[in-house]
Amino acid sequence: MNVEARGIDTGHRAQRLSLRSLNKSFGVVHVVKDLSIDVAPGEFLVLLGPSGCGKTTGLRIIAGLETADSGQVVLGDNDVTNILPKYRDVAMVFQSYALYPHKTAAENIDFPLKVRGVSKQERELAVRDAAAQVHMEDLLDRYPRQLSGGQRQRVALARAIVRRPSVFLMDEPLSNLDAKLRGFMRAELKRMQHQLGVTTVYVTHDQVEAMTLAHRVAIMDRGVLQQIGPPREVYDRPANLFVAGFMGSPPMNFLRGRIEDNRFESHGVSLPVAADKGTMAKDVVMGFRAEDANIVKPGAGLFDATVYAAEPTGDVTLVTLAVGEESLSIKMPRDYDIDFDKAVAVHFPLDRGFLFDAHSGVRLAARLVSVS
Amino acid sequence: MITQDIRMSPQRSLLRRWFEPKSIKQMAPATAVIVYGLLMLWAVFVLFPLYWLLITSFKLPADVNAGPVYLPWIDFTPSLHAWRELFVFDYEDTLRAYINSIIIALLATALCVTIGSMAAYALARIQYKPKFATIVLFVLCLVAMAVVVGRWGVDWRLSLAVALAVFFVLARAVGRHFKATLGNGDILFWMISQRILPPIVAVIPIYMMFQSVRLLDTHIAQILAYSVVNLPIVVWLMYDFFVTIPTDLDESAQLDGATRFATFVEIILPLAKPGLAATTLLVLILCWNEYLLSLFLSTSNAQTMPILVAAMNAGERGILWWSMAVVIIVMIIPVVLMALVLQRFISKGILLGAVKG
Repeated sequence: MNVEARGIDTGHRAQRLSLRSLNKSFGVVHVVKDLSIDVAPGEFLVLLGPSGCGKTTGLRIIAGLETADSGQVVLGDNDVTNILPKYRDVAMVFQSYALYPHKTAAENIDFPLKVRGVSKQERELAVRDAAAQVHMEDLLDRYPRQLSGGQRQRVALARAIVRRPSVFLMDEPLSNLDAKLRGFMRAELKRMQHQLGVTTVYVTHDQVEAMTLAHRVAIMDRGVLQQIGPPREVYDRPANLFVAGFMGSPPMNFLRGRIEDNRFESHGVSLPVAADKGTMAKDVVMGFRAEDANIVKPGAGLFDATVYAAEPTGDVTLVTLAVGEESLSIKMPRDYDIDFDKAVAVHFPLDRGFLFDAHSGVRLAARLVSVS
Repeated sequence: MITQDIRMSPQRSLLRRWFEPKSIKQMAPATAVIVYGLLMLWAVFVLFPLYWLLITSFKLPADVNAGPVYLPWIDFTPSLHAWRELFVFDYEDTLRAYINSIIIALLATALCVTIGSMAAYALARIQYKPKFATIVLFVLCLVAMAVVVGRWGVDWRLSLAVALAVFFVLARAVGRHFKATLGNGDILFWMISQRILPPIVAVIPIYMMFQSVRLLDTHIAQILAYSVVNLPIVVWLMYDFFVTIPTDLDESAQLDGATRFATFVEIILPLAKPGLAATTLLVLILCWNEYLLSLFLSTSNAQTMPILVAAMNAGERGILWWSMAVVIIVMIIPVVLMALVLQRFISKGILLGAVKG
């Protein structure tokens, strides 16, 4: 349906959101370290990281549910660092949905308008409109306990969009749904955000959600922002080992080794490297993606390996190989068959390999090259 | 290595048939006999006094004094003598005490539950960190003030002003030097400790307090005293209910634009309804049965039912068992009715659907 026909204002209220050097500690734990992010108006930004990385705390600071120890939150032209949540014009969808169990779906959606003293007719229209947005028009009289997980999720979304906030905050909104529904709601969410054009900050630990939803992904680890960029850039040019290992399923394959005499050496693997003097005689980690590699006959590839296990997943066959003490995952076509313990070799385009500093984790300028 | 054969045989001997249940959802016959036997014994203990009250209220003084008789129309002839005495001849006194009890118990309960649940909500959601040293300083200032007033007869208003001034001047410095703080748990424990104290200890000071403000023998005195005495129970119980409600709901309401008070009234209180009902009922019963405070704070106008019952014990005509029985029966009725009304709310499962996926 046409967006304008529904009477939705498409994002003219979208605001720029800036986080400037936010810091937050709980006791001795420094959960957010010097976090600075600029979110463009209408942008869908995903904060991605493992549990405990500070992404949820960051979101709660934006919402005003936590106070930052230092730094600023700027929304549009206003510094909102020290004002109450209700004055911030942000709406949040909680991981638990946080629906009011004693109120019907309609009353839940209505609540933000009711406490703001909007007139009754306006509220009725707005509730109907928001419910239509999430396809819940027929279930408005039900109580949360009478709704399925996906329907509760929709009510929570409707409650967030009903007052047209300038920023949406979402804290792992899909993590309580089963896999099938999650995939479906992901598409719905992306569509909705696109239609409304509201600046959105979305927290998740699921890299697939991050890849699929985000305009830009911000990856955090232990309170520190590791890399921020469009999903493809983050996937194809990871800034460090953490990002490389966190993005992708299965994660990027790593081989520990050293650069000696312009060659990467590890467990019987020896590959030519174009490196400057600074990267000589250095402990490094070589990485490549499971889908970039191929299993070939022994001796025909870059290095030899043995088959540890093969798992057909339906769309691909995931083969785990052993190289020395390390294990690698290779994605092969769906009809690929191979015996356990068979000797094979691995091949991948050398420009798809990365070298990281083993100590700092930073990606090196040095590259694998085909001619020594 | 286990050498012995430890497999269990499913054969049911006579002993097993008695002492083992047929399935894990049932009781074994022998257990059932014991359990139901104990329950019946307990029922007799609970119900017999009620039965005794009921028949005593329909006995003539002669029947009561003639020794134990149990069955109406067989052992003795029921009579409305005691009922007539209280509700026809003495109806003014009876009715006054009854109405006093209802007014005082209801208002005291309402006040106590309102203030107590708000306090409990605050304790369940806001982190308080009172500095221990500041509290000690405050108490010391008050003690110094009391000494000055008592020993040298300084005007109490003046010394209070000085004591508070000293406190405020020193509070910051003391707070800076001694960092130890108390938490919500300490506040809660301090509150409940007020209830651990036997009330008889506090009743004389309470009497003198109300005497000095000339509120003895008024409803308001008893309403205030009852509320204060029962406040710790309300705070303690409601705190337990509030902490089980996910804070996500509070935070969501705050983001939706609700004030703290609106969050409490619109979201939290409805969800704590079962707890609220149970607490209200408990406090209502405690207020309804309160004897000691009423004994001290009322003389005639504001006397409550428990005083009336006790008065039957000390008349010049000896103990009026029959009248006492009548008063106790009419005293039980409103509480039973309230329990029936409130138990409807004491049901579980209201939170279902709040946060589960």
